[in-house]
Amino acid sequence: MWRVTVKGLLAHKLRLALTGLAIVLGVTFVSGTLVLTDTLSNTFTTLFGHIYQNVDFEVRGKAAFTAGVGGGVVRKPVPESLLASVRSVPGVTYAAGSVSGYAQFVTPAGKAVSNGEAPTLGLSYEPNPRLSVLRLSAGSAPTTPDQVAMDQGTADKYHFRVGGPVRVLLAGSPQTFTISGIVQFGTADNLAGATLAAFDLPTAQTLFDKVGQFDAIDVVTAPGADKAQVQRSIARVLPPGVEVVTGQTVADEASGSINQALSFLSTALLVFAFISLFVGGFTIFNTFSITVGQRTRELALLRIVGASRRQLFRSVLLEAALLGLVASVVGLALGVLTSVGLEELLKGFGITLPSGPLVFRPRTVVVALAVGLGVTVLSAASPARRAVRIPPMAALAAQRATGVESSGRRALIGAVIAVVGAAVLAVGLAAGTIALVGVGAVVGFLGIAMAAPAVARPMSSVIGRPLAALLGVPGRLGRENSMRSPRRTAQTAAALMVGLALVSTIAVFGASVSRSATSSVDQAINADYIISTTGISGVSRAVAPALTGVPGVTAVSTVYSGQFEVRGSVSTLTALSPVDLSATVILRVDSGAGAAALAAGALLIDSTTATSDHLRVGDTVPVVFAQTGHSTMRIGGIFKPNALLGSYVVGDGFFSSHFERARPVAVLVATGTGSGPATTAALRHRLSDFPNLQVQTRAAFEQSQQAQVDQLLGLIYALLALAVLIALIGIVNTLMLSVFERTREIGLLRAVGMRRRQVRSMIRSEAVILSLFGAVIGVVVGTGLGVALAASLAQQGITDIVVPYASLVAFLVLSGLLGLGAATWPARRAARMDVLAAIASE
Amino acid sequence: MTVTDQGGPAPVGPTATPAARAVDLVKVYGTGETTVRAVDGISVAFERGRFTAVMGPSGSGKSTLMHCMAGLDVPSSGRTFVGDLEVGLLDDRGLTRMRRDHVGFIFQSFNLVPTLTAGENITLPADLAGRRVDQGWFDLLVSQLGIGDRLGHRPDELSGGQQQRVACARALVDRPDLVFADEPTGNLDSNSSAEVLAFLRRSVTEFGQSIVMVTHDARGAAYADRVVFLADGKVVGELLAPTADSVLEQMKRLGS
Repeated sequence: MWRVTVKGLLAHKLRLALTGLAIVLGVTFVSGTLVLTDTLSNTFTTLFGHIYQNVDFEVRGKAAFTAGVGGGVVRKPVPESLLASVRSVPGVTYAAGSVSGYAQFVTPAGKAVSNGEAPTLGLSYEPNPRLSVLRLSAGSAPTTPDQVAMDQGTADKYHFRVGGPVRVLLAGSPQTFTISGIVQFGTADNLAGATLAAFDLPTAQTLFDKVGQFDAIDVVTAPGADKAQVQRSIARVLPPGVEVVTGQTVADEASGSINQALSFLSTALLVFAFISLFVGGFTIFNTFSITVGQRTRELALLRIVGASRRQLFRSVLLEAALLGLVASVVGLALGVLTSVGLEELLKGFGITLPSGPLVFRPRTVVVALAVGLGVTVLSAASPARRAVRIPPMAALAAQRATGVESSGRRALIGAVIAVVGAAVLAVGLAAGTIALVGVGAVVGFLGIAMAAPAVARPMSSVIGRPLAALLGVPGRLGRENSMRSPRRTAQTAAALMVGLALVSTIAVFGASVSRSATSSVDQAINADYIISTTGISGVSRAVAPALTGVPGVTAVSTVYSGQFEVRGSVSTLTALSPVDLSATVILRVDSGAGAAALAAGALLIDSTTATSDHLRVGDTVPVVFAQTGHSTMRIGGIFKPNALLGSYVVGDGFFSSHFERARPVAVLVATGTGSGPATTAALRHRLSDFPNLQVQTRAAFEQSQQAQVDQLLGLIYALLALAVLIALIGIVNTLMLSVFERTREIGLLRAVGMRRRQVRSMIRSEAVILSLFGAVIGVVVGTGLGVALAASLAQQGITDIVVPYASLVAFLVLSGLLGLGAATWPARRAARMDVLAAIASE
Repeated sequence: MTVTDQGGPAPVGPTATPAARAVDLVKVYGTGETTVRAVDGISVAFERGRFTAVMGPSGSGKSTLMHCMAGLDVPSSGRTFVGDLEVGLLDDRGLTRMRRDHVGFIFQSFNLVPTLTAGENITLPADLAGRRVDQGWFDLLVSQLGIGDRLGHRPDELSGGQQQRVACARALVDRPDLVFADEPTGNLDSNSSAEVLAFLRRSVTEFGQSIVMVTHDARGAAYADRVVFLADGKVVGELLAPTADSVLEQMKRLGS
């Protein structure tokens, strides 16, 4: 039986390749994602291990609370006086304090230097090479208040030289420094794209507003010292709120938070890989259904000469398993290559990642093989069951069995399954459980695919009518062919249906998000200008004072943002100035007070939070601030949801008393006359010292918000394109099999006078009908799904639901064209068929 | 001439059980107006070690009779036996085992697996059963059939006659208790037909094989030890030690 299976597979190499390709692409995606994230994770872990390799202990402030995903922790600095106490602990040979903060270089051309989203770090330069990971590659260490050491990456890219001047943006006013030296990060030019500006310790403390303070004290112990003993001794000299941890702990924490962010990325990518495999599964299912049908005689013959049902079942599954195995291995190999490409793709969307040696874990192999094999075998199980049910007599039947056509019962079961899936999905959306949404979608799609044959005949008939009218006989025959086996038509179209449903979902969802973002800007802000930064650097405190004299400016309001813990969970706190509030921000107060409450140091919350947490004006809530610790706050007012403010708002005075070194996230500017080119130019001119700032009118700000949404949509479309591609491969495959199956029929048509071109038209018509059938169902289902998704997030700020009809119609047209493209090869094959041989073939 | 329930003339040799027999076999196709009684109460036995031909015009029920007796089709009523096995009592697994271990098939349209070579097609039943092929017997069959140099070829590289000889080897390689041959020469020219029929005759005479062959060719039937004539789903006659002429004569008589 093994031999029959293998020989059967090898006899149809083309079919094998086309079917396998669907799985290859999915597995490539899976393994590529795993290799990429493993590689990045390893790169970061190595990096942090390297940074802290010589640090035995670090003394630092205890974390008041841990911030959300990727947010790291907020710690209070330790007093400088603590250094002497630590140094005096027996067993400590060296200890040094360090500070870090924001410092961003400005190019000679006046542009702020940054590499995508990577941070722009300012550090105190540590002269002891045992503790410092910075290595001077040129010049010398910074020793005076006007010196800075620059990372090699920035120096090379912008041709900075030792001894030359460089302007540096800081939390306060920008300053010009002299480059004392160029440093490397260990052996790397920079730290994962981050730029580095190192100052001598006192200068750094001044620049980062940490005079008399350290962020941390790094400790080196004597060789042979009992480290546990030393750690206990250090702990004994520390004041409350300060802790001593090992260097390893610090490295693990650092790589841990990066890995958390990476697992987020990996999950997101794997979702799309899963979608591709799901669509690939349809293709496998369809191909096996067709080939089992075509091999009815052969399978029945095997039954006659003594194959048991179980042997036959195993044979079909074995065929699937072999196919899956080969495809998975190929996919795995391609995945490793693709991980490099995937990195480039992300880079193209502005997500810069560091480079490091490729990491290929055994887990990647196991997952890739399990997923590839699993999907293939699972998809072939139903066709295999059908193969088993073939009676031995079928071998003797004169006509090839045409297969069981769809029954009403099957459609009914499919419809029920689809409804169950939709219900699960709805529950998932309502409860905000992503897993339920996914399960619901998968079940729903399977149900629709099962029920689809019931509508395949009438829909093909309707879709095919214009083609028949346009192309005459070939169009009519193509239409007849697609109507002839509704089940096959529906199964082939199902893969494209899933792909297009997801694309349409994203289109509807994206349009809604985009529109909501736009309208929410108008609902949230009435300032004429928004001044903000592109990266994570924040706006200098020097900006707002600089704007007061600009002609036309009537109000300037600074917005701060920070993390705090409220009622036991970490949230974002926004701070506004009560002065000029109404001129810049639209704060619709439901109950309590607005500006007055802010001035009084009370907390404002939005009505959504008030409702869900059962809070009222006058209630008191427990809060924790990283720097000032536990406290309580009175709720002074409840405002209508505002997309740009978040759920919690306080006055700027209160904010600065709890957040040292608070840095603005935006500055809002109102003008008496609205925005105009003259005012824009005046603002830009006044802020020319701060090249990291964006000065945007409200309209431009809206556009940039929309552009961000569009960029994300572009990325999602690119990832979904793979699923659509796999669906198209499925169409090519089905058409090839159909052409092969109808060899005699096509030969007959040619014999009675059909021209090659007409044969091609016939096959193409069938392909277009198939594609459009799948696309129409997909777009309808996807639109519903997108509306449901958007509606379920109304509380999260998606206030407008938009159905982008033009895009949806474009998808339909595109699907038809893609179907036409998919038909090229099968059509050519059909047209090239030798008439005589076609008729003679059995 | 009629056939009794016990299966006609005295069996050859001492064996009591025939290779296969049918008792009151009825097979009805369709329902209501369109009912066709393809087999209408046939009782017949096929002896071991003999070559029996079943003859009759198209639609006489000869193929249906064979399909029911071989367990490929389910009778409407009546019982069939292969050796001691009552076919109707077997489930799918039992039927599979019966086909694999006790019965060989030769078809009109050869029915070889297109992706396997001739040699692999011959050993297929043994491979499926997980048995080793008796190499001596295999070599003997192959040389008798004159296909020794074609074993590495695939069916589409063989002539019709060669394909049917491969099918013969496949049917006989496991020494089944009984070979069912359904119009084995229906798709062959006269030379190839003669080769195949001569081989079947020899396998009965020299190796003691039991064969039941459905045919409508009088010359083919003449190779058999006994001919059973069917018409309209009933046994209508029988001939021992037939010649082409006597078969034709009998046919003519039945036709009138």
